[in-house]
Parts: sequence; C-alpha cells; structure tokens
Amino acid sequence: MSENVHDRALKLIGQARVEGIAEADSTWLRAHVETCDFCAEHARQTDRALRLLRTSAIPLPEGLASRTQFRVRLRAQELREREPRHRLMWITCGVSWALGVSTAPYVWRIFERVGQHTGAPKIILQLSFGLWWAIPALIAGAVMLIENARQASATGWQEQER
Amino acid sequence: MSGPCLFFSTLMGDDAKSIARGLQKRDPDLLDRLIEQYQYRLFRYLVYVTGSRERAEDFFQETWIRVLERGHQFDGKSKFEAWLFAIARHLVIDWQRSKKAQSLDMLTDPEQEHPLQLADESDPSPLHQVLSQETQENVQASLQKIPAIYREVLVLRFQEELQIEEMAGVLSIPLSTVKSRLYRGLEALRGALQGGATS
Repeated sequence: MSENVHDRALKLIGQARVEGIAEADSTWLRAHVETCDFCAEHARQTDRALRLLRTSAIPLPEGLASRTQFRVRLRAQELREREPRHRLMWITCGVSWALGVSTAPYVWRIFERVGQHTGAPKIILQLSFGLWWAIPALIAGAVMLIENARQASATGWQEQER
Repeated sequence: MSGPCLFFSTLMGDDAKSIARGLQKRDPDLLDRLIEQYQYRLFRYLVYVTGSRERAEDFFQETWIRVLERGHQFDGKSKFEAWLFAIARHLVIDWQRSKKAQSLDMLTDPEQEHPLQLADESDPSPLHQVLSQETQENVQASLQKIPAIYREVLVLRFQEELQIEEMAGVLSIPLSTVKSRLYRGLEALRGALQGGATS
C-alpha cells in the first residue's frame, strides 16, 4: 500500500474529528481503516485521547460560585451608587453648556466693555472668552480623570492582592 | 436548515438575547444564575489556560466582575459562552502582559504550579475510583505537556464544544489558524497520552 494512502487516511482521521469530512471521504476512510491496522490503531488512539479529554474532571473549589456572587453583588452596588454622581455631572455639563450658549452674546459684550476700559488687545479678549467657554469642560475632564485614576488604583490594589 | 435545527438555533438566539437584556440592566439575579450555570465550564477553561487552580480561581471572580461592568457590550447575537470565554482570555492575557511574559505558555510556571486535584465523585467503587483517578491524572499530566495554545483550542472545541467560527471569535485569530492549532493539538494530545500510557 503506498505511503500517500496512509497520509491521506491519517489526515482524514484528524479532519473528521476537528471539522468533519464529506460522505465520500468517510466511506473511503472506513474501507481503508478496515484493512489497515496502522491507521485503525491511529484512529483508536485519537478517539481514546478525545474521550479522555471530554471526560476529564476538574473539581470546583468549595464555595467559589457563592464567593463570586457576593463579590459581583458588591461591585454592582458600587456601580449603582456611582451612577447618580455620573448623571449629575452630565446634567451639570449640559446645563452649563446651555447657559454658555444663551449668555454668550452678553458675556462677549462684557468682555468688549472691559477691553475698552483697559485697552487690552482683541486677541487677549478672544482668548479669555474662549477660556471662559472651556472652563466647564475642563472641570468635567478633571473630575473624570480623578475618578479614573481612583478606579485604576483600586484595580491595581486588587491585582497586587492576586 | 432543518426544522429542529432552526427551532434550536432560534431558542439559543432568544436565550442570548434575554441574557443581553439582563446584562444591560445589570440584573443581579441573572448574574447569579449565570455564575451557577457556567461555573464549571469557566473554571475548567481557566485551569487549562493558566495551568494553576489558584490563578484560575482569581480569574474566575475577575471575569464575572468584568461581565457585570461590560455587560452592555454583549449584543446577544453570538453565544454567551463564547463572549464569556473571550473576556476570561483577555483578562489572562492582560495579566500576562503586565508580568511581561512572552506567550501564553509562560502562564505555566512549573515551580509554582500545583498538581491538579482530581475527583470522580459519581463512582461508588473504590477500585474504580482509584483507576479512574489514575486515568484522570494521566490526562491532566498529558495536557500539561502540550503547549498552552494547543491546550486551549482542544478545551474550547472538545470540552466546551464551541464551533470553529466561535473559537476564531474568542481567540481573535483566523479560522485557518484555529484549524491548524486543532490538528497540531490533537496530534500532541494523542502523542502525550500514548507516551503517558507507555511510560
């Protein structure tokens, strides 16, 4: 029997278990395995390996599920408590943006008047006006950075424990 | 697709969708149920990937915390277990990166690793229990001889019974790579078990 025939059979034995093979290939393989002891043994060993893998048991640590459920519930509570704070921050951002838009013409007039009194160049006034606009966003950004840093340090602490 | 297959797949889709809805709301009862339901499969996967029961236990808890936090990202279009294993795998890889390891194989530290404790509680015969335990230990020892990337695909395919496409999603690798890892893994497992049996 040529070596190519065995190579094909061994390839099909693996393929049949991993992704399945066509009916024609399956028929050919069955016929070959019936007459070839080497390939039949290979198929038996492969099936035995898979059977052992499928039936191998790993005992669960005692109380793992209940400990995890407890931790998950605690974390869920933490997240729920944090939600109103986040909501409040977004509402504040929204209100400050709306106020900024609606009062922009008046504020610009105030800046112009200050400019007339102090004789400051227009570019300084424009920059100051821009900065005044950016203040709420800067504060929101700072709050989020602090919050993220706090969360990261809490995660780092948990990982160190691990 | 045949009638029963279509019915089954629709049922699974509905299940995944209801899980997705519950996770969006961070429903604690749903999470309790999911932890109960998937505890064995997730723990087994983590043990095989990390090669250590202690680490697997830590990652098990961390995975469910991540499921709670990122639950809104699960859209219910794929199987929940595929998403769950992907989360667990990312956690292990992140941890591995933080330890500056080079590959998934580095997760197994032979000096720290404890031999897996095996049990077959369903078997009443003491002789059978001993024989079964020996076989189990042989399987575990053989699995530990296989590189982790092959061990992982074997577990996902033949224990968790994920489809090759789902595995590609979990592992973030092309289908062809999943298949070649499976072929090599299967060969390695066969060889390792044969070696164990003859030694």
